[in-house]
Amino acid sequence: MSSQDTGYEHLVPLFKEFASLPEDDPRRQELRDKLVTGHLPVALHIARRFAHRGEPQEDLEQVATVGLINAVDRFEPERGTDFLSYAVPTIAGEVRRHFRDQAWSMRVPRRLKDLHVAIGAAVSELSQHLGRAPRPSEIAAHLQCDTEEVLEGLEAASAYRSASLDEVLTTDEASGHTVADALGEADNALDQVEYREAVRPLLESLPERERTILLLRFFGNLTQTQIAQQVGISQMHVSRLLAQTLATLREQLAPD
Amino acid sequence: MVAPSGQQADEDSERLDSMTLIEVRIAPTPAQISAVRVVAADLAARQDYDLDAVSDLRMAVDEACATLVPLAVPGTMLSCRFLVAPATIEVLATVEAGHHVTVPQNTFGWRVLTTLIDEVQAVSSDGAGGGRPMAGIRLCLRRERAGG
Repeated sequence: MSSQDTGYEHLVPLFKEFASLPEDDPRRQELRDKLVTGHLPVALHIARRFAHRGEPQEDLEQVATVGLINAVDRFEPERGTDFLSYAVPTIAGEVRRHFRDQAWSMRVPRRLKDLHVAIGAAVSELSQHLGRAPRPSEIAAHLQCDTEEVLEGLEAASAYRSASLDEVLTTDEASGHTVADALGEADNALDQVEYREAVRPLLESLPERERTILLLRFFGNLTQTQIAQQVGISQMHVSRLLAQTLATLREQLAPD
Repeated sequence: MVAPSGQQADEDSERLDSMTLIEVRIAPTPAQISAVRVVAADLAARQDYDLDAVSDLRMAVDEACATLVPLAVPGTMLSCRFLVAPATIEVLATVEAGHHVTVPQNTFGWRVLTTLIDEVQAVSSDGAGGGRPMAGIRLCLRRERAGG
């Protein structure tokens, strides 16, 4: 543990208790809240360092807080490092990713950006309501605009890496059970795959979120909309992540 | 592929009248697949398939073309034909192969394809009828999907 006076020492014992409790212990939530709230100044401090770069400050603070929550959830006190040296890069990484995701990969007219945001909101609302992904005609009816405009907006969406709406993260991570189930199934299904030994380490080396999404889609047989609800991001974002992940895997699996 | 007999050809052309047939031909390189992908997504969206299906078709076409690219004889084209019917979108992607070869079905890519699309079929011809050997993948996306 660091001997420096950081002002957060009083929280250190809480991590040990947090890590020692079983998943379903009701005290965990309480400790998690305390740890997150207690370290909130760290997140806000990092968010301020990224100020004045064109992103609303409250968005940055929200993203930094998400980074903090992730850090609290993933921190392993028995590894011997102190929380801050783990949390600071995690939070900063989350904020950097936010900036990267915010960037349009090509110039898209303002009107289409607005439409894209409206479509994104409509998709998530309709998905909730319908229990499946909406059709373009349903989005158009919902937004009281022309289907043609929706089609145009969807095209613009594919030029955009990720809207802030995509990044609305829920506090609870993707339910561990389904992921574990998918992992088990992946293992069985991989038995039928020729490059099984090649595929497995590639799957394991994927970032956690990408791997979860891939497994749920291809081995858990969930639709993109179901995955979106479970992971807490938009269907469009799931779609992009899946396509990117498949492209990466394909490159790495290429015979030459 | 075998040329249809006279009567079959009539039926086919009648069948085609009520449908949209689009063919996209690209040089068989990974960089050009995006053109096929865009057409696939646009067709499905215009047929008012839900966004999951649109995205699944786009990924499946991507995967199918990427599978075929390494099999193609250099200097030939990858052809991707889309047949849009009221209840289905059929895709037939083919390349001219150097020899008689069928797309392997025990790969991760095949797993991806069969998850994304209701019907997936590897097609091939050995070029016995005078043509050249072809390898291809046929996909069929149904409007009413079996699972979710």
